[in-house]
Amino acid sequence: MTVEETIKKDIETTFGELVRVEIERKHRVRAYTPRNMVLPMLAYLKQRGFHQFTLLTCVDWIKDGKFELVYNLYSLNYNVHVLISTKINRDKATMPTAINVYEMAFDYEREIHEMFGVEFEGHPRLDEFLLEDWKGIPPMRKDFDTRKYVEEKYGMKDLTKELFTRKEQPYRGPGSNG
Amino acid sequence: MGKIREFDFEYFIGPAHPGVTGNMSYHIWAEGDTILKIEPNLGYLHRGFEKLVEQRHWIKNFPLILRICVPEPDVNEVLLAMAVEELNEIDVPERAQYIRIIVLELARLAAYLFYFGGVAGAIGLYTIPQWTIGDRDYILDLFEELTGGRVYHIYQTIGGVRRDTPEGFEERVLKVLDYLEERLKDYDKLFFEHPLFLKRTKGIGIVDKDTALRFSVTGPNLRAAGVNYDVRKQEPYLIYDRFDFDVPDIYRDGDVYSRAMQRRLEFAESIRIIRQAIDKMPGGAVNIKIRNPFEYRVRAGSTYVKLESSKGEYGFYVVSDGGVLPYRLHVRGPSFSHGLQLVRHIAEGTNIADISMILFSLDVCPPDAER
Repeated sequence: MTVEETIKKDIETTFGELVRVEIERKHRVRAYTPRNMVLPMLAYLKQRGFHQFTLLTCVDWIKDGKFELVYNLYSLNYNVHVLISTKINRDKATMPTAINVYEMAFDYEREIHEMFGVEFEGHPRLDEFLLEDWKGIPPMRKDFDTRKYVEEKYGMKDLTKELFTRKEQPYRGPGSNG
Repeated sequence: MGKIREFDFEYFIGPAHPGVTGNMSYHIWAEGDTILKIEPNLGYLHRGFEKLVEQRHWIKNFPLILRICVPEPDVNEVLLAMAVEELNEIDVPERAQYIRIIVLELARLAAYLFYFGGVAGAIGLYTIPQWTIGDRDYILDLFEELTGGRVYHIYQTIGGVRRDTPEGFEERVLKVLDYLEERLKDYDKLFFEHPLFLKRTKGIGIVDKDTALRFSVTGPNLRAAGVNYDVRKQEPYLIYDRFDFDVPDIYRDGDVYSRAMQRRLEFAESIRIIRQAIDKMPGGAVNIKIRNPFEYRVRAGSTYVKLESSKGEYGFYVVSDGGVLPYRLHVRGPSFSHGLQLVRHIAEGTNIADISMILFSLDVCPPDAER
């Protein structure tokens, strides 16, 4: 039994049918987890020796109306990354904070709050991180239109329309070169 | 954390400061010379790469994504290529793999030379930056010959590298390696055995084993804390499993001295890898043919790819929905863990004169934290 299979079996026996675990490839295990099971899962894996909080990221599945949060944990002993995927509702997105389990989540959650607008319940400092005086919708969401933003904010015109549309010219007969 | 009183001093390090590569500032509260609290202040270098990537074709992202990091841009290109190759199950030609190894290791040498100069400059030994940046130029010359660009190479592509090595390139690489090996002896005399260096760096800015594991420290910083973890050994990407090299495990104190000496030893190991790669390099094609790059699609799915950069574990989380554009790309830069939470923790109680040295020795590179 490989290490990945052992981890898969352990997670399945601990969390039962709530969690779907897949082995993506060597060194990668993915656990599809419901929202309320993420924190118990993180706590369980930390106690199992997954010391490294590699990343926390967010994917905007705008067609399904969902955000997918991906927690990536790594263990030196097992040499395996466990990716915990959870889907939360896109409008009024909330998620309990993970900083009590992994303090490294602190800045990742600030970033995702700013870029996607996910509220992390219990986070002490969801303030400005990378942006300054941002008023509009969070910029990493799929419905944020960068081109429209640039046109409105900086008054830049879309030059491609003028460059690539040919002006119609009257036909002057054959051999007249237009 | 000590309590901040009304009459304590407030300082700003940066946004342009020798302690940090790139623009990033730290807000410091100090009592006399002792730091009470430090708070990183990001945002000067945020260029929104992750958003820009979503609006370009897969192949058009290669000239974009490498601009994240100036000292070592090649890791970004290679990671994007690795992610696409993994999702589409492409076999990369042998020769391309070897060329990638040579490029990555040369980039590591260049980044380490930059690092030595930075640490020495932060201490006040200003001769060494002149020497190392000068020697780095010999490596940049090689890159210019191979790729056409000195800093940004835009050399990797899906399924290999853009073009083959020019004639006689291998000999010129070996010549530069010989020169650098000779030069290392000079660096030892001038810098690594310098009494000032020893006095200023030993026991300063300690990141011990427990702290390193707690704050997700990776790369040379983690190895200098006594944990022998290297992605090239633990999860060999490309063809690193075919090379014979060691991960130095002599310095384990986790202070500025250990971190600098760890990189000094790894510098020699990188030279070893390049020599082997040139020795074993087979002939053949260097890339696969892609019929129409602008209609190139990547199978729906997601993957996390990582490699060992000069700063630590560098990773991309890539999501594709099966279209011609990437759906999401998250850049996991090592500086996100080294420069923020870790610095908040270790900088308390240190002397204000040591802070830029500590920051540089952690190799905090704001561009890969902010993207």
